[in-house]
Amino acid sequence: MLPEALLIARKDLKIEMRSKVALGQVAPLALLILVIFAFALDANSMLLKLGAGGLFWISALYGGTMLVQRSFDLESEDGNFDALRMSNIDPSAIFLGKTLALFVQIGILELVIGPAILILYETQVSDWLLLLLAAVAGTLAFAVCGVLWGVMASGLRVRTTLLPLLLVPVLSPVLLAGSRAFETALGVRAGDGWTWTGLMFVIASLHTAVGLGAFGFLLEEG
Amino acid sequence: MSEVATVAVGWGVTAVAVASYALWVLLRGRTIGQELDIGGSSSMLSDKDSTTDQ
Amino acid sequence: MTSAKGRSVKMTATPFTRALGFLALAAVAVMALLGLVVSPPDVVQGEAVRMLYLHVPAIWIAYGSFAVTSVSSLLFLRRGKRREDKGRHYDRLGGAAAEVGVLFTGVTLITGMLWGKVTWGTYWQWDARLTTTVLLFVTYLGYLALRRLPADPVVRGRRAAIMALISFINVPIVHYSVDWWRTLHQKASLSVGRRPEITGEMYWTLLYSAVAVTFVAVWLVTHRYRVIRLEEIRDEEMLTALISQRVSQDLPPVSDGDFDE
Repeated sequence: MLPEALLIARKDLKIEMRSKVALGQVAPLALLILVIFAFALDANSMLLKLGAGGLFWISALYGGTMLVQRSFDLESEDGNFDALRMSNIDPSAIFLGKTLALFVQIGILELVIGPAILILYETQVSDWLLLLLAAVAGTLAFAVCGVLWGVMASGLRVRTTLLPLLLVPVLSPVLLAGSRAFETALGVRAGDGWTWTGLMFVIASLHTAVGLGAFGFLLEEG
Repeated sequence: MSEVATVAVGWGVTAVAVASYALWVLLRGRTIGQELDIGGSSSMLSDKDSTTDQ
Repeated sequence: MTSAKGRSVKMTATPFTRALGFLALAAVAVMALLGLVVSPPDVVQGEAVRMLYLHVPAIWIAYGSFAVTSVSSLLFLRRGKRREDKGRHYDRLGGAAAEVGVLFTGVTLITGMLWGKVTWGTYWQWDARLTTTVLLFVTYLGYLALRRLPADPVVRGRRAAIMALISFINVPIVHYSVDWWRTLHQKASLSVGRRPEITGEMYWTLLYSAVAVTFVAVWLVTHRYRVIRLEEIRDEEMLTALISQRVSQDLPPVSDGDFDE
């Protein structure tokens, strides 16, 4: 299963490497959103500093949703899904592969907006390890849910509008936990950042379990 | 708003919401039912007739 | 088109649901009487307590509906595993119940906000229950949106069923995280007068209201279920008609109603 999953992930990442959509289009937009937040909050540096964690995740959510969209548009174009189905690859492997690829792409996106938060909002990291693990946990949860809901909306004509509606309620606990964990890691608020990070890992693994079980169903005749 | 007025608004809004939903369901059922009943002779197929272009 | 005629479904009412409908109406009338007139105002909350006779049953019904949706989704997936045309009634039941659930979640939110305005002095509090409820509302709106899409009914049903199951798993996660979030910050202001103990006459009124609202909900779900069935029949008939039209393209124009499979 694992080699097949890696194969799927490599395929997606190769497409990304050639087209550079995540880095070339989505990341700049996410950056722009960080700037727009400063407009919304009237560049109040105190507010921006306090909210930096949450603003990071909102910006990541926005960009990430687009990446999810793209990840599945790639598949529905030219009957790729049919090809995947006929390839006899285990649906769980497809699920894991797509998740891995999405994880890497959202991770790249976060590597762009993360430093921007530090520079634009003048935040300082007080706990690098927590920051890193929280980011990993949140991104993992995001990627898993993204793949699960992405395939749910794939192939439908209204997917661009439907996907965010389905995805955001599910991701709201991740957003909440990610924001709180980042606030602690950035040292703006004392809190239990580690527990929040743990919660994100729990969410990620729960949805992974569901995805491994349900992906075959969802793929069957997408 | 006074307490009584608020309660009235709450009950009123609820009554209207539930009643309109119920009405919508009933009317929709009736419309589709009629459509299906008469469907063989007029409404549904004639709709189709006008939209087939080939 | 003979099949449609044979079914001859015109309305979604049967003697049973008609009786249930009247029962529900009567029950609601009594409920209004009890809740608005007979039961006394609360010592602390005053008249505002009357909102709870709607608010609390509404959320019970909403939870119940979503539970029905989840169970029927599970059954639908299990039945449809071997033969995909099996278990469609579970799909319909899930859809009907979810719609009613969303309706009553909306009622809960509105009555809750109004009640909050009087009791807390504000429409909204970032309380765990409120936040969870609003997320629940949006989640199932998404579920309904997914169900409404034009797609193969079986594929759509399957996706919707999986979504319902995931959403159901997600509800505790959402609640837990939001609860934790709020208790971390402002412990005291939340529970003040949140839902005081209700006893005696008020208790019975509340319980009675729950029963009355249940009647209404069952009636609604039954009818909605039948309308969903009608929608499916219509879609199938339309498809059949279209196909036969395609098939008979080369023939001279046929008068309506002459189509046959």
